[in-house]
Amino acid sequence: MPALVTDSSSKKRKSGKNASGPSSKRRAVAEDNFAEKLSTIQELENQIAESRKGYNNIATLLSMLNVENNAEKPEMAVAVSLCRVFSRLIAGGNLTESSRAAENEKIVVAWLKERCLDYQNALVAIMREADASSQIAALALSMRIVKERLAHIPGAENNVWSTGFFKDIFAAIIEAHNGQDLQSEAITKFVKEYEDVRYHTFTQMADYASTKRSPEVLEILIKILQACDEVPGPEHKFENFYAKRDTKNKRLVSANSHRKQAQEAWLAILRNNLSQSQRKNLLRMMVHNIEPWFNRPELLMDFLTDSYNVGGATSLLALSGLFYLIQEKNLDYPQFYAKLYSLLDSELLHSKHRSRFFRLLNTFLSSTHLPSTLVASFIKRLARLALNAPPSAIVVIVPFMYNFFKEHPTTTFMMHRSIRDKDLLAEVEKEGMDDPFDPNEPDPNMTNAIESSLWEIETLQSHFHPNVAAIARIISEQFTKQSYSLEDFLDHTYAGMVTADLGVEERNLKKIPVVEYMIPKRIFTDRLLEEDGGVDSGPGCFMRDLWEF
Amino acid sequence: MPPSQLKQLKASLRENGVLGPQKSKKEKRQNAKTGVGAKNRNQREVALQAIRDRFNPFEIKTINKSSKFAVTTRDGNTTAGGGARPGVTKSLGEERRRATLLKEMNSRNKIGGLIDRRFGENDPTMTPEERAAERFARESQRKMRKESMFNLEDDDDEMQLTHMGQSLSFDGANQDDFEAGDLDDAESDEETSRKRKRFPDGDENQDADPDQDHEDFIDYGDEEQPGRKKTKAEVMKEVIAKSKFYKAERQQTKDDDEDLREALDKELPDLFEALRGIKPAAKATKAEAPRQDFSEMNPERAAMLEESQNSKDPEKEYDQRLRQMTFDQRSRPTDRTKTEEEKVEEEAERLKKLENDRLRRMRGEQLTDDEEDSMDQDEIPDDDESEIDDATHFGLPAYPSETRPELGVEDEDDFIIDEDLVETDSNASLDMGDSDMEGDEEASSSDESDGPDGEDELINGMTLPTEDSAAASTAAEINKEANGKLAFTYPCPKDHESFLSITKNVPVEEIPTVIQRIRALHHPRLRPGNKDKLGRFAEVLVEHVSYMGNETEQPPFAILESIIRHIHSLAKTHPLNVTIACRAQLREIGKERPLNLLPGDLILLTGLSTFFPTSDHFHTTATPAHLCLARYLGQCTTASLTDLASGTYAASLCLQYQKTSKRYMPEFINYTLNALCNIAPTEPTVKFGAFPYRKSQESVQLVPSKKVTPRKLQFRDVTTSPSDPQAQEELKISLLATLVSLLGSASDIWAEKSAFTEIFTPVRAVLQHLHQSLRGKVYSAAREPIQSTLNKIDSHLAQARLVRRPLFLHDHKPLAIKTAIPKFEENFNPDKHYDPDRERAESNRLKKEFKRERKGAMRELRKDASFVAREQLREKKERDSEYEKKYKRLVAEIQSQEGRAANEYERARGRK
Repeated sequence: MPALVTDSSSKKRKSGKNASGPSSKRRAVAEDNFAEKLSTIQELENQIAESRKGYNNIATLLSMLNVENNAEKPEMAVAVSLCRVFSRLIAGGNLTESSRAAENEKIVVAWLKERCLDYQNALVAIMREADASSQIAALALSMRIVKERLAHIPGAENNVWSTGFFKDIFAAIIEAHNGQDLQSEAITKFVKEYEDVRYHTFTQMADYASTKRSPEVLEILIKILQACDEVPGPEHKFENFYAKRDTKNKRLVSANSHRKQAQEAWLAILRNNLSQSQRKNLLRMMVHNIEPWFNRPELLMDFLTDSYNVGGATSLLALSGLFYLIQEKNLDYPQFYAKLYSLLDSELLHSKHRSRFFRLLNTFLSSTHLPSTLVASFIKRLARLALNAPPSAIVVIVPFMYNFFKEHPTTTFMMHRSIRDKDLLAEVEKEGMDDPFDPNEPDPNMTNAIESSLWEIETLQSHFHPNVAAIARIISEQFTKQSYSLEDFLDHTYAGMVTADLGVEERNLKKIPVVEYMIPKRIFTDRLLEEDGGVDSGPGCFMRDLWEF
Repeated sequence: MPPSQLKQLKASLRENGVLGPQKSKKEKRQNAKTGVGAKNRNQREVALQAIRDRFNPFEIKTINKSSKFAVTTRDGNTTAGGGARPGVTKSLGEERRRATLLKEMNSRNKIGGLIDRRFGENDPTMTPEERAAERFARESQRKMRKESMFNLEDDDDEMQLTHMGQSLSFDGANQDDFEAGDLDDAESDEETSRKRKRFPDGDENQDADPDQDHEDFIDYGDEEQPGRKKTKAEVMKEVIAKSKFYKAERQQTKDDDEDLREALDKELPDLFEALRGIKPAAKATKAEAPRQDFSEMNPERAAMLEESQNSKDPEKEYDQRLRQMTFDQRSRPTDRTKTEEEKVEEEAERLKKLENDRLRRMRGEQLTDDEEDSMDQDEIPDDDESEIDDATHFGLPAYPSETRPELGVEDEDDFIIDEDLVETDSNASLDMGDSDMEGDEEASSSDESDGPDGEDELINGMTLPTEDSAAASTAAEINKEANGKLAFTYPCPKDHESFLSITKNVPVEEIPTVIQRIRALHHPRLRPGNKDKLGRFAEVLVEHVSYMGNETEQPPFAILESIIRHIHSLAKTHPLNVTIACRAQLREIGKERPLNLLPGDLILLTGLSTFFPTSDHFHTTATPAHLCLARYLGQCTTASLTDLASGTYAASLCLQYQKTSKRYMPEFINYTLNALCNIAPTEPTVKFGAFPYRKSQESVQLVPSKKVTPRKLQFRDVTTSPSDPQAQEELKISLLATLVSLLGSASDIWAEKSAFTEIFTPVRAVLQHLHQSLRGKVYSAAREPIQSTLNKIDSHLAQARLVRRPLFLHDHKPLAIKTAIPKFEENFNPDKHYDPDRERAESNRLKKEFKRERKGAMRELRKDASFVAREQLREKKERDSEYEKKYKRLVAEIQSQEGRAANEYERARGRK
């Protein structure tokens, strides 16, 4: 294949130029010492290119690489020149041994192979230990070697990708010391860019994560997987390859096998020992990042049900994934609503996943076939929680209830109930009544909430914030509106409300604000107290009573 | 085939009785006697005209096609063009043009000429007799009007009895004298006209506007002899005459108006009758008659008559008197000095009104608007910015529409005098215009009615602080001793830095004095720009309050209080500035330290609750302040005892904010219960309620011991936490006691809430837990408040159970089902427009009218142009034919001359 050869040789030349470019620049500023070293490297490299006699210089260069004991300060110029050397050798077929070759020829090839291996190990060591720029350079160099080997050594595919050099590279990337830059470089330049690299990364990942790893490592794995967010559709054409592809191998061009690998990788991670925050994080991106990769989403079931049973915020996050499975894959989840009801606890309205939960809750309860007792229980529970909720949550709850009242008209007794029974009426008039609702009953069908009334929301009609009070007042108005769109009420925050009240900067006030008409005699001190006969009863006496200024 | 035209004509003539059998002479005579003949003649004329019209089909425009359907149009039921007589209209238009346009055309490029403006000259409807009568009437009217009824010198020289052309009056000489003396106001008509002939157009105007004549009249008199110097008597006379004249004129117009009104009043029954369909009797002419008579009789007599008539009308006189009295300034009763009781009562009334205003604002006033807005809140699709939309939808309508700017009048520097505020601020009834003038140091003169003038002097006295008297009269003790050391004048600081530089060398205790001097020195009355300056100064002071709270370890509260009171009094005159400054501070808090309030912020929030009514349903500053507190209570984390102390302070501040309006604040309950759970010596094992329990980062658990007793909390606790463990425990137990007492107050405030049971059951549980965990470990003095609060809550709970009823919220009137029946108009009239939008209907009408007018104008112009062209052509033809004629005549003349000459020549030749 002469065309390929010329192609690679032209690339080689280019890379040679690239390598010499910065070196010439460096030479301009560097000391003579350094310049001398560079010229020797160049000389050695030239000798290797000229004749076989120069091959011994490879060993010299390798020793110059300075990675024998620790790879913290590698000579990257040497690494670059070695890369050129090996690329040339691989392209020239000097690393393939033919059976008919002479004995001494075989020895040379074997020796070269050994040196090449040395060089690869050196690069991996650099990636693991050196500083960020060297790590990135080493990554580029090793990927080039991978490419050259795949292009010129027949049958190297399996050897390089799954078991050989790439595996080492992958492990090095994951385990690299201070490897954030290296990882992001690998993600942007290779994994996201080339589909074959991505495929093999998935494979390596599944392999790598099959053993228990530390949370930090898992974090990196998740990061890499998360970066691959473009799920190939069935019609996707795979054309973007890094290295020459073995045409016989169909796996690389099928979307299914790509997804299968990704699925394996994800499953391996999900089965690993995740920390609580990682679990939440994964749940959060479950729908958008993870599920699309899965050919068989039911494989996620274990993970999701486990998470749902954890309770608290994790349960909230697991809900959407679980719902997807219930909806799409006929997952049978007994006592789903009871579980959902139990999620409505004191923390819910204060959690930051509140709006997410409400969106889902809206979906779950949107069925008109749900029993009214159940819906009433949810309404009453939310009303109870609203008594201790921040304004932003109350603002969601009330329109939410409104929609339920519209959907399930039998629940409207909770707002309006006239007692028909004369005896009962007399009793209530005489003794008052207790709330028939049982807050401790776990089964939403048994709480008797439908017999209760929403005194809580009525109380919130006198909420301190006028907007919240106005919203709470909708339940005592005529129900003329079909429904409230929930989206408008979600995602409010204290900060947003403060900005809404105060504005970002002062604009002209429409009206002159009212000022208290009386200037109080005292604010902090007991000034002129004797004038009032020693009894402090003016405005603010409450504070003065409790505090000493 | 129809009969011939002639036969038809004859038949119709016979039908209409034009042609008929001959009447006998006797009959004719009889008819003539009874006047039937004349009537018949009229009838015949009409009939003939109709027949003529009928038999001239070209005069009447007909439509070509008969309409297929019966249609109703807006133009009425007449079909287009039916019955129109184009020939007639055309000839009419032609005639009119000839009368106007042609005249104009002929007079084009010509200057001068006479315009006859005599009355009725060009009115063809008037007979010459009528014309003469009318002219005479006008003439006499003019004369009548000229004279005032009180002008004795005005004589009736025009109306004289004559005999054989000789005057019958005895004072002929006198009259002559008048003419000779040339006194202006008694000139004869002839003279007037003679004089006025000098002025162009004057003659013509005479009839048209007789009123103007009077003006001219007098002026001419003056101008007549410019050279002659008038004697004093003459001048005086002139002046008298003039004033009399004007007075009379005024009287006249007034009387005329009165008469007119009376006449109209009289006609009112007629009008009613007319409305009912009965024709009114022609009374108007009768009523007119006596007036006419006046013009012909002796004007003096007429005046007398009129006067007597006037005096007879008691109602008129009464009206006049009444009017006079109402407009008389002096007749107003002076304000009586009020007695003490009255003043107190007034004050009480004013306070009551203010309180009512406050209550109305608390209820949110426009309740219905609120709800409407909440209803349509979603109809406007709002996505991400719904936050702001929400606020505008739910928040703004609740804004109190009635502000109380008039209160700005109230005393602002009262603390200088240390008078009771309630005594002094009684200017509420003054209007907005006065509000920028503060009623200030004049608190000592408690009578506000002597108003701005009195104030001014006092302020001026105040602004010269060198005067000992001013200082003495107003200053508190501090001022007096400070006078020696402090400078008297300070520039008005524009920002906080400059204020700091001013007060750099001033001891903290003197800052109120400095502020007072700055305010006095820059009193708005002294210079126009001072008002703005003081506004800025108010903002600076607001900034300074939080600065002082933050900077100093133990803020000097007496000074802060004084500054806050200064701000409050400035806020009355500069509400906007103070609001803006407070909002800026709140914004800063919201942005930079929402969950970490500084002591300065707490002090500002405390002060803010005194300037602004925190009970308002919505207030531009109080509501965000609430929200700030709520956010702090709802989201802050407790890391140390000081955090807990400042949280407790904020919680108590919340309760103070809600003292009157009693609104529910979930964050307060959450925070206090959380804090109590954290302080409790044993950690709660079960959940007590729906409040989220957050453990404090650093344990603040109380170690119960008998050594410590609760004390009153100090503001210092917010800033510094004691290092000594004993003191720490003391602080903890005092915090606990305070929180418990806060809960007790909260249960009092919210006892009326329908969900009291739900709110306070967890509270009760927490308190019981506390009570149990403290049992036997602390002094009973520490447990006592818990027990009493528990008792209070228990009784409230029992009460709440008693009054609890099922909700009965939807006792609304049922909504009517929307009707879908089309709205039919009964008795639809196609001529009427039924556009419900009045404006649109009006504009449509105007448009239509404009279109019609435009079309009409265009048509007229076109016709005018063709008329002009025709006339020009005719003229040209005339000229041409004239020329032709002349030419022919000349030719003929020459020919005849030639012929004669030829003949002569022939003859001469013949002779030869």
